[in-house]
Amino acid sequence: MVEGRKQHNALTYIILVLGILLIIFPLYVTFVTALKSDAQSSKSFFTLPIPMYLESFKEVLSSERYWRSFLNTVYITAIVLGGNIIIMPAMSYAVARKMPASKAYRLVYYFLLLGIFIPFQVKMMPLVKLLSSLNMMNPTGLGILCISSSTCESVFLFVGYMGAIPPDMEEAAWIDGASTMRTYRSVVFPLLKPMLATVLIKQGLWMWNDFMLPLITLNRGWKDWTLTLFQYNFSTEYSINYSLTFATFVASMLPLLIFYCFMQKSIIGGLTSGAVKS
Amino acid sequence: MKEKKGTSQKARRDKSKERTFFLFTVPGFLLYSFFFIVPVLMGIYYSITDWDGISKSYNFIGLGNYVKIFHTNQFLDALFFTLKYTALLIVFTIVLGIVIAMLLNRKIKGRGFFRTVYFIPAVLSSLTVGLIFNKICYYMIPVIGNALHIQALSQNPLADKNLAMWTILFVNLWQGLCIPTLLFLAGLQSVPVDLYDGAALDGASSWDIFRYITLPFILPVVSVVFVLTLKSGLMVFDYIKAMTDGGPGSATRSVAMLIYKHGFTQNKYAFSIAESIVMGILVAAISAAQIYFTDKKKAV
Repeated sequence: MVEGRKQHNALTYIILVLGILLIIFPLYVTFVTALKSDAQSSKSFFTLPIPMYLESFKEVLSSERYWRSFLNTVYITAIVLGGNIIIMPAMSYAVARKMPASKAYRLVYYFLLLGIFIPFQVKMMPLVKLLSSLNMMNPTGLGILCISSSTCESVFLFVGYMGAIPPDMEEAAWIDGASTMRTYRSVVFPLLKPMLATVLIKQGLWMWNDFMLPLITLNRGWKDWTLTLFQYNFSTEYSINYSLTFATFVASMLPLLIFYCFMQKSIIGGLTSGAVKS
Repeated sequence: MKEKKGTSQKARRDKSKERTFFLFTVPGFLLYSFFFIVPVLMGIYYSITDWDGISKSYNFIGLGNYVKIFHTNQFLDALFFTLKYTALLIVFTIVLGIVIAMLLNRKIKGRGFFRTVYFIPAVLSSLTVGLIFNKICYYMIPVIGNALHIQALSQNPLADKNLAMWTILFVNLWQGLCIPTLLFLAGLQSVPVDLYDGAALDGASSWDIFRYITLPFILPVVSVVFVLTLKSGLMVFDYIKAMTDGGPGSATRSVAMLIYKHGFTQNKYAFSIAESIVMGILVAAISAAQIYFTDKKKAV
């Protein structure tokens, strides 16, 4: 038995280590290529960056396009997160508590979930026309659009979570004379915080990493680019320059990797709870 | 509720409660409805015209676009590619996801470290991942292939008609396996340990243990992963845009790529909307069937 288990464990290790190599390899070459000059890379792509070459990073980090794209991405993500903090928990609270008694709220809930069935591509082409006729083909417009796109998933998660919170505390606050607004602010909202963290991580990562929506709404001039557009446009324009191309990838991934290092538990929790996206 | 019935104060407070709930719901509801209903209606409207997206006038042509979709093989080819790709993605995701989750669930040293590394891809942008692998295939795979004398890898696999789809699939799995694996891992941890101990005492084989103990516990997760992967497969765009742009030729042109191409680069605005509506009906039908056949809560 013990012998067998040991062999089993050895096999497990071998497979898991192979998996790690498979995951690390693309990230490894991305980092080392970014840190080598093109001459170093053409000798071998796989060697360590000795001596280290920092010119590409300097170039990316001193480019106005990178910072503009970075700030646009932060800005759009912040709008989406703001919408998910202000609008979604309140709406979900109302829907969750009114649903059992009120048919209207039940219909609202089902209507909000209907979006799950409509794939984004159906709305894609008309959305571009709609946004341009509203003068919303800019980061602010995209942010507002994306608040609405996050509705299905957020409401689904919050309403599900509300269902597990007994209404006793709210009723107590109500009997003590607190208004509904007050009850929401000081009783319900704090209780929703764990789910809020999940929702923010989910929507934040989605928005930060999204490519298709920026591609169809913001790709007219670099002043509106997000980081994904920056990488895409850069790598299709300057594909010959290894070092610089990979440096743009590293500069774009780094915020996410740092975020992952510090928030790993919450991220993993956030990404696995609930699973709807229109 | 222990309130005094019939007092005007209670009625007033109830009314204010109703009003607050209403105010809570309205902004989000309107925002969502506006960006949901208007584009869908606009889409249906334009899909029965011949508008190119730019000119000032257009004609109504009824179901002409819908008929035209099935006149050439473009849409059907893209649909066939998308369905094949999705089927492969689902099979590999479920099988590999369960295998990796079972390995990560074993009591081994460094389990936390393995998990941390295995889930890095989940936070990256699929576009970045696609672009990185595009460069790797372009610059590095031929070097590796030549060094190891592997004929198939001696040139860029993305430029090879037969290998391009498999390469995209591999990259999609490289990143797309993370979340399903996590979900399976959570499923495995819900299996009571004494069930395994009992089975081991009874001398059950590993396969029997998997088949009769593990599988029933993770079956709901399989259903969730199925839906998630189905949707991401049917709408695959980022990886293809970043790696092959639908090529070589049209070997990796998914429906999403086709719609994008027709709508944004070839001025077939109305036509591309008709294509997207056909695809939308298909996806909606599949999702509805899935929910109908499985427990609603688990499926969504």
